[in-house]
Amino acid sequence: MHIPDGFLSPQTFLPAYAVAGVAWLWAARSLRRQLDDQTVPKLAALTALAYGLGLIMLPIPGGTSGHLLGVAMLALLFGVRLAFLSYSLVLLLQSLLFGAGGVTALPINALAMGLAGAAMAVLVFRALRRLGEPLAVVAAAWCSVMLSGLIVGLVLGLQPLIAQRPDGTPLFFPFGFAVVLPAVLVPHALIGVGEAALTLLVWRFARGRGWVAAEGQAERSVRCA
Amino acid sequence: MNPSCCPAPADGLPATTPRAARHAQWWLAGYATAVVAVTSVHDPRVLAGLLGLALAASGSTRWRVLRRALLAVLAFNLSVSLGYLGVSLWQGAFRPAYLVLVNLRVLLLVFLGFWFVSRVNVLQALSFSPTLSFVATLAVGQVTVFLRVLRDFRLAFVSRNPGRPRWSDRARNASAQATHLLDKSVASAAEASLAMRSRGCFDD
Repeated sequence: MHIPDGFLSPQTFLPAYAVAGVAWLWAARSLRRQLDDQTVPKLAALTALAYGLGLIMLPIPGGTSGHLLGVAMLALLFGVRLAFLSYSLVLLLQSLLFGAGGVTALPINALAMGLAGAAMAVLVFRALRRLGEPLAVVAAAWCSVMLSGLIVGLVLGLQPLIAQRPDGTPLFFPFGFAVVLPAVLVPHALIGVGEAALTLLVWRFARGRGWVAAEGQAERSVRCA
Repeated sequence: MNPSCCPAPADGLPATTPRAARHAQWWLAGYATAVVAVTSVHDPRVLAGLLGLALAASGSTRWRVLRRALLAVLAFNLSVSLGYLGVSLWQGAFRPAYLVLVNLRVLLLVFLGFWFVSRVNVLQALSFSPTLSFVATLAVGQVTVFLRVLRDFRLAFVSRNPGRPRWSDRARNASAQATHLLDKSVASAAEASLAMRSRGCFDD
């Protein structure tokens, strides 16, 4: 659901950089404590997986793209802060190396997918865990995709309202909420199913490999979120 | 996490020297300034002029970078442009100037991004932050590992299936590939983190 470069007004991306900057500082604050030689290899592997997943994308007529995120798996295994930082890095590399997303859209993409998506995944997982882990993981991943899509749709739909010429010609993204919200959310309801399946697979892989310590981090991150 | 303790970036990426890092960071600052400036321009003639300037300044790589940028924006811009065309014609508010403006702006921004990356090592540009540089080095290293494993599996699968493979074979191969990919990449990152530990990366 990357927003590409050139569709967001400076009135949107400059304040978003300020908000994202504070969030990145918050996320990086506990990084040294969380990153040890047990966590780093797993985080690097799953960050690279999220990077690869995000590159297989289809354009959506509403002006964004559809692809798996991998944010929920990062959040459930490493917590919100590490997931947010890792996914921000994924977005930066994707935009610079492949033109996927963009530097102007980076803070919105990072806040929507990396922060809100990760926080939603952890909160839903924690709320539903007592009903069974597989169900909780699936619901967490699906809700994470939908919340990210909703934020991206709202930011895009805002553009014609805040940036247009006096004659009504849009200067950045042209479609309002009525067009962009269904265009983003309907495909992502299906993409969320794929994301849920992927997250469940990775979760089972992680459980099978005994990444038990990481679970504790997910728990701690809920308290931090 | 002092960057001086971190291992050299993976496969083919040059090690960071202070001078190269400064050079990369100046480019990063210039690129960021240019991006903000371009989004503040709403005249298609000015954007076309800026694109011409960027093409002229980018030297011998200009056509390769332009081709990459065109391919990168093609799908998204086509989808937005056609969507706008349909909706605005239906509403009777079609403004062709918008299509010129937005397509020129997106092309220029992506061209600037690819030009920046073609001139500058991203890891060096990020070296102003030890944390960012540390995680980026690990992630870029893992991407290299992923690409190699994917290629090996694809070639092995092709060599085992001279005819058209069945869907069950494809599914088994994909499943084995996914598991191996994660195991291999965790093992490879574990090696990197052991190397970092031996250099004191995890010590206060």
